[in-house]
Amino acid sequence: MTTLAEIKSNGYMPQRAYLRLMVNGGLSLSKVILLNMRELRRLRVVPADGERYNRPARQYEVPVFKEGMRSCSSREKYLRPTLFCDPHDPVVVAIAHELGAFQVSDRQFTENAYHFVKERMLLEERQINDVRETLMRGSGTCFHLITAFIALCRCAGIKARYKIFAMNMIRSWYDVVIQPDPFIKKWYDSLGYFVLEGEGEVLVDGEWLVANVGPEAEWQAATGTTITKLGEDSIGNWFNAVPGTMMRMESLPYGLKASLDLLHTIAPGSMERVNISMAAQKERGRKILIEAGGLEAYDRLARARQGPRMPKLKLESRDQITFDG
Amino acid sequence: MGYAEYISEFETLVSRYVPERSSWGPPEQALYGPTDPYRVPTEEANDLCFKAVKFQFDRHYHHNRMYHDFCQEAGVGPEDIKAYEDLSKIPLIPNEFFKDCPTGKDFALWLGNLYTGELPQIRIKGTNPSADQVVSAFNDAGLFVLFSSGTGGRHTFTPRDKRSFDMNEYAMAKGVAAMFCPTWNPRMNGYLLLPNPFKTNLFAGKLATIFYDIMNEVESAVDRKIDTELIRLTMGDGKGVKGRMIKYISKKRSRKTIDDIISWIEQNDKEGKGMAFVGAPFLLFSTIKKLKEQGRSFDLGDRGAVLTGGGWKLHEDQRMPESEFRKDVESVLGIKPKNVIDLYGMVEGNVWLTQCPEGHYLHIPNCYVYPMVLDDSYRPLGYGKLGRFAFLDGTMYSYPGFIITNDRVRLLERCPVCGRPGPVLEPGVTRVPGKESRGCAEEVRKIISVDMKR
Repeated sequence: MTTLAEIKSNGYMPQRAYLRLMVNGGLSLSKVILLNMRELRRLRVVPADGERYNRPARQYEVPVFKEGMRSCSSREKYLRPTLFCDPHDPVVVAIAHELGAFQVSDRQFTENAYHFVKERMLLEERQINDVRETLMRGSGTCFHLITAFIALCRCAGIKARYKIFAMNMIRSWYDVVIQPDPFIKKWYDSLGYFVLEGEGEVLVDGEWLVANVGPEAEWQAATGTTITKLGEDSIGNWFNAVPGTMMRMESLPYGLKASLDLLHTIAPGSMERVNISMAAQKERGRKILIEAGGLEAYDRLARARQGPRMPKLKLESRDQITFDG
Repeated sequence: MGYAEYISEFETLVSRYVPERSSWGPPEQALYGPTDPYRVPTEEANDLCFKAVKFQFDRHYHHNRMYHDFCQEAGVGPEDIKAYEDLSKIPLIPNEFFKDCPTGKDFALWLGNLYTGELPQIRIKGTNPSADQVVSAFNDAGLFVLFSSGTGGRHTFTPRDKRSFDMNEYAMAKGVAAMFCPTWNPRMNGYLLLPNPFKTNLFAGKLATIFYDIMNEVESAVDRKIDTELIRLTMGDGKGVKGRMIKYISKKRSRKTIDDIISWIEQNDKEGKGMAFVGAPFLLFSTIKKLKEQGRSFDLGDRGAVLTGGGWKLHEDQRMPESEFRKDVESVLGIKPKNVIDLYGMVEGNVWLTQCPEGHYLHIPNCYVYPMVLDDSYRPLGYGKLGRFAFLDGTMYSYPGFIITNDRVRLLERCPVCGRPGPVLEPGVTRVPGKESRGCAEEVRKIISVDMKR
């Protein structure tokens, strides 16, 4: 049984910004439902003769857990288990072991975990579940995939956390994720910021690195974006964070599962249509990658299209600058 | 008067911008050394340029953490820059970077971390200081934080130390003096078609500081304090009583500016004085238009000179053909086209390209500037190709002046008209598609014309 102290210290309680988003999103959803009852009834199921979503097979073998495989037992913040993210689960431990936990450097392990989740797990709309289930299935929403990445890092003794924000997406993403379903489109367009997005952050060599493990390379090619690497942010790339909504969390908060469950209950057909659209885009992305001459060649082109590299400026305090007030 | 005597008179007037010769390093040798920056033999210019740029690259690499990390990411270090040909390997910073700054206290830290070397003591008041408060605090401490191009809603900010600012001023004035020889003389009176440099930190105004040293009496078209707040209010998003009041006052003043310029010409013409117009072509165009409407003209001849800069936009969708402008200047003011010269520069660098009077090609001071034209993948193109202008500035001490611009240009190895040895840009610099119009003149045009047209 989770104690009140744990709920507070582990960050299970939603932050104020999160609550505000949920309230606004809930109100917006209610309005869309009330004003579109007939359409919703029609859209909540996929017609019998309509295209159905078939989840592709898992892209990897789940290794067998063996005695002696280690996991970090620290209870320190960002290392301990949190909601849906148990780094001691045998499946997590076995995969982390295979990726080099406690055998390679933190940096190397983080890279391995990043590539594993980003390249071998698939993006798919579905309800929130425990990390074990996600890894056994090999797919999930960005929240599932971030959780998998965070669990693997924490298992290897590397601090990891969530970065969650409300976002506006670029057109090519909108066309794939929002546009295919009239219900989702109405909801998104009515408020524009109900869609929460997340990324992982991992502490390596004293620096928090962002890990956007959600989109696979094929998906990124289809949306015309670069193939992101560890340390590269989705914000400013294909998302823009709505000001004032950026939250860093140790855990997914209470309420997230319920809100996704609700959405899947109200509009399962809509969720399926989004998955169908994403699958079709990934197929298109595969062709784009082949035409470009492979992943690296595509990435080079996409980066060139995106513009030149920008330096990163860290805002460190300078002794000579003092503030009165 | 020969060139040596002519330029010696200029050097005397600008001596406060030149450090003691004994303290000169490669950047100073490259900037202050040549008597005519546009007539240095190519081999000598390349040697000066290599030493100056290499010096600055080493300095920024070792003393600017942001740039050091940026270079490491690109896999380029000082050991890779061994010869003039290696300069193109130096990592370039897109000019957009200088627009991407935070607000409040973070803005001060952004400037402080962008700065290369030791900062002076800077004290900033307020819990959430405005951009203008931060800029003032830096400048009160002896720096020159200048801003520009709020035309897209985002200002470009750059921090210069005094040495870099002086080099900027000298570089611009020396190039202009060299090209205007023998027309310029210190007895000329000047009219700045720009904001008063002593009342603003807007680059489009501040850059004209040196004209107060090299001309007799100087007037400015916009003689009021201009900060980012005023620009914001004037340019249109200033709502409420304050915004409306500022727009009303601005409108009244702007209408008067053209009349003031005409009175100034009349007065100086009557007294037989030399006249130099410096700044936004839009304002002189409006003056000429009014004189034409009144059926009046002047014959200033060699007593007159026009130095324009910052772009050739008349209205939101209308550009002014430079050759037409020169014809109008000649027909209404009597100033010959050879004495109507355009200047190309920007807040991000001390790089000033000046048109030659013979062909109006933009000459690059290649003793301290390494120019490049980049393709769509940001790789250097050769001479003769159209692409994005980029440069390595060998005189910028305070931040890495290795910049990719959003200007579309064609770089030529030699001027096809005059005999000067260095590379040139074809006249008619335009913006890369998708990037907002910018430039000093565009800012002045916006500040003044938005109200004049209402």
